[in-house]
Amino acid sequence: MHRLRSAPILLTACLLLGTCLPPAPAQAAPVRIGSKQFTESVILGELALAGAREAGVDAVHRRELGGTRILWRALLDGEIDAYPEYTGTLTQELLKGLPANADVASLRARLRPLGIGITDSLGFSDTYAIGMRDDVAARLGIRDISDLLRHPGLRFGFSNEFMDRGDGWPGLRQRYGLPQANVSGLDHALSYRAVASGAVDAIDLYSTDAEIPYYHLRTLRDDRHYFPRYDAVYLYRLALEQSAPGFIGVLRKLAGSIDEDAMRAMNARVKLRGVKENVVAAGFLGIHAQDHEGGLWKHLLQRSVEHLRLVAISLGLAILLAIPLGILAARRRRLGQWLIGLTGILQTVPSLAMFVFMIPLLGIGTWPAIAALFLYSLLPIVRNTHAGLVGIAPELRESAAALGLPPGVRLRLVELPLAMRSILAGIKTAAVINVGTATLAALIGAGGYGQPILTGIRLDDVGLILQGAIPAAVLALLVQGLFELVERRLTPRGLRLEARQ
Amino acid sequence: MSTAESAGGIAFALVQAGKRYGRLQALEQVTLAFAAGTTTALIGSSGSGKSTVLRLLLGLEWPDHGHVEIDGQPLQRADVLPLRRRAGYVIQDGGLFPHLTALGNLALLPRHLGWDRERIRQRAEQLAALTHLPASVLERYPAELSGGQRQRVALMRALMADPDALLLDEPLGALDPVVRHELQDELKQIFGQLGKTVIVVTHDLAEAAWFAERLVLLRQGAVLQDGTFRDLRERPVDAFVSRFVAAQRRLPEDP
Repeated sequence: MHRLRSAPILLTACLLLGTCLPPAPAQAAPVRIGSKQFTESVILGELALAGAREAGVDAVHRRELGGTRILWRALLDGEIDAYPEYTGTLTQELLKGLPANADVASLRARLRPLGIGITDSLGFSDTYAIGMRDDVAARLGIRDISDLLRHPGLRFGFSNEFMDRGDGWPGLRQRYGLPQANVSGLDHALSYRAVASGAVDAIDLYSTDAEIPYYHLRTLRDDRHYFPRYDAVYLYRLALEQSAPGFIGVLRKLAGSIDEDAMRAMNARVKLRGVKENVVAAGFLGIHAQDHEGGLWKHLLQRSVEHLRLVAISLGLAILLAIPLGILAARRRRLGQWLIGLTGILQTVPSLAMFVFMIPLLGIGTWPAIAALFLYSLLPIVRNTHAGLVGIAPELRESAAALGLPPGVRLRLVELPLAMRSILAGIKTAAVINVGTATLAALIGAGGYGQPILTGIRLDDVGLILQGAIPAAVLALLVQGLFELVERRLTPRGLRLEARQ
Repeated sequence: MSTAESAGGIAFALVQAGKRYGRLQALEQVTLAFAAGTTTALIGSSGSGKSTVLRLLLGLEWPDHGHVEIDGQPLQRADVLPLRRRAGYVIQDGGLFPHLTALGNLALLPRHLGWDRERIRQRAEQLAALTHLPASVLERYPAELSGGQRQRVALMRALMADPDALLLDEPLGALDPVVRHELQDELKQIFGQLGKTVIVVTHDLAEAAWFAERLVLLRQGAVLQDGTFRDLRERPVDAFVSRFVAAQRRLPEDP
């Protein structure tokens, strides 16, 4: 019984999703490179992009798409064609049943059935490491982690995560039999300053951290191979071997060409000196940076177009569906409660989660973002359409019926105009929420004002954050103003007179 | 249809019709006939079921028991729209649509019936003369009209498509005494001229007697007495009728 009653709702939900299915992507599309949401991954993405362009391969870079899972899924689903990854991540997280230090050849054999290729190591490993001030280490003659055994009095400051993880400090101490007793937990952001000032003698770090050269630190050699290898590689779709063999050549040429010092230096230029990733990548390749970035205004224009497109399409589709749903809800009490409940549940899904839910369904990019925004815009419109219609005075409803007008005509000429205010208010609410929420669309590669906000958060660059936040706020105000104008135009004069009384 | 005015209207009847709203029995099983071309007043206190009678006759509600007859035929759901177009309906506050001008309200049904603009305007002006409404008022919105003007427009709206019957539910209930008196005169004149079936609901006995020869007094969803004003006053069926008649206040005598 219950199952039967929910059938139309499921159907509606399917329809909602169906409306938004993206059209099949064009075939002659450029190679799509993805990157994760941290600086090193973006630089590696830019390197592949610059290399591809240098080799005359048409390519785009969808930067900062999200975390490992998102990129991996996007690659499997063919939403992107390539992205930088680490061997340790493949063995620990993405592929099951491989030894932690499996080599690239065995990874390649495992990835091939998935339709995915892997380059050789790019030449560096981004893994946990132990670092000391270079001058102190030189004075004490420490090069390897084993050398620490000879200096039991050294003070260690480790990040809280490293202190707790089984493959962190506890395992390290056991493997090397380290005697040091003076070990304190530190915030990772503070640990560089702590070691630089001499408050502690050794800290944990990631081997390609930009701060290593900046603070003149030395990373100690893991001579007993305790830390798993996180060799950087590119993953790519094997289909590229047919469609873009030149691009695979570019990736193969990058393999083995970046050592830890080079990667650290590039990270440092972006993170510490504020140089753009594409400039850093071009500098590494010894080519002139192609200015695909453009000036501030060009940027702003491009993001505005992206953002407005997201808002306009999702809101337009939401209006087309939500008003009929609101009418239906007002006509059928029971179904109405279900419909409003359902759209209400959609609204309670945290917006971040809503975007992430779209990835397995629709992949990444503009259309999934539009689908998420569309679902988000339904509730205010459905609810206000319903409320506007239900709120019509019964005597007016009855007068319309008593005139002998058929229900459809009554709806069009009497009921909808009387509910117009409420409906427009709902659309306005949906639009303003939509403009704000659309900033999250950048998380799944849809661009818009969220892009500089994301990059700004990653680079800790307030100016960049404001480049996204201010236009988004201005747009929200403009949308609000626009809808107030529309409201004034579309509200029948008689209703405004009535309201004034 | 166009000869309806002389043809004498619609014959309405309730046959054993009962209606309940939740726990409230609005109408017991009532049988009541309204002959074509006659004017009848339904009177009674509020909650006596007067309005329910009108709503059943127009198919705005359906009886839980018994049925409604229109010109001798049982009313079917499919007949409702044509019936309503043949019967004008006016309620206490006029029920004018606030988003349309007076003329827009008048034009709603005719436009749906395919009348052209000129025909609508002519008919509106004709009815404005009948109800003594200045034609300039037609461009105004309901919010810009006085109570009396609103009721006139509502009456005009009901008359636009020249219906065979007029059903009025407390049409003057919300008006001040002077306007009310004026409109009582006009309505009586109009009823006399049109020769339609008229059923008017009121709680005011004097008004009922002014409009109609035949008065039907309802109480708690049942017909208590059906007759002339004189019958009610001189041959009341029970004490309630006497009290109802006596309760109509007279002006104090001069000292």
